[in-house]
Amino acid sequence: MQIYKDYKDHADFLTVYVREAHPTDEWQMNSNVKEDVCYAQPKTLEQRVAIANDFVERFNYPTPFGIDDMTNAANDAYAAWPERIYIIDEQRRIAYRGGMGPFNYHPEEARAWLASRYGEVRAKRLQRYLTRKITKRAVAP
Amino acid sequence: MLKWIGAVVVLLILAAVIGLSVMAGSLRGAYGLVRYALPHMHRGTLRVGDDAPDASLLALDGSSRFHIRERTGVRPLVIVFGSYT
Repeated sequence: MQIYKDYKDHADFLTVYVREAHPTDEWQMNSNVKEDVCYAQPKTLEQRVAIANDFVERFNYPTPFGIDDMTNAANDAYAAWPERIYIIDEQRRIAYRGGMGPFNYHPEEARAWLASRYGEVRAKRLQRYLTRKITKRAVAP
Repeated sequence: MLKWIGAVVVLLILAAVIGLSVMAGSLRGAYGLVRYALPHMHRGTLRVGDDAPDASLLALDGSSRFHIRERTGVRPLVIVFGSYT
């Protein structure tokens, strides 16, 4: 998650695992089979916890993580399923509400919100890299 | 007259099936979309500026819990909702 790496010094991040989008016993996609991501819809909290841990382990996922319980309270409160991004400001208000995934899921919009507050981190990095390269060439005999 | 209405209805249903199949990638996908996805897709009522709802979440250890609210109030909180599949 590049956005997490770029802005973790400025904002907190939380990934919330909700009910599965394409489980084997519901609407499984061919891509799930190809990528060996085959899970039935969890029927217990323990099953959700197990799948969430598989995900974190497989991708070495860096952000803090929470799991929605079987009442789907977080999912319902945020109309999250299948995927959505929110930004909550310091006053605990919704500052950014992303579109419903997959078609309207645009992490770059969340990045743009963070960039508008804290600057474009990637551009600064690239600028530093290029400055170092140019300086080295100027100094080299 | 009824025949024409019936024909129009059939054509509309066919168009819907074709449209959903294109969107979902296949006829099977269209069935999955209607049967499993649509009942869970909600536009929701939250808007920018609304108070952020709170919810209790379970940590990866499977036993400890925390609230979304505990992670807010100091810095902006970016919440990414999703699943593995």
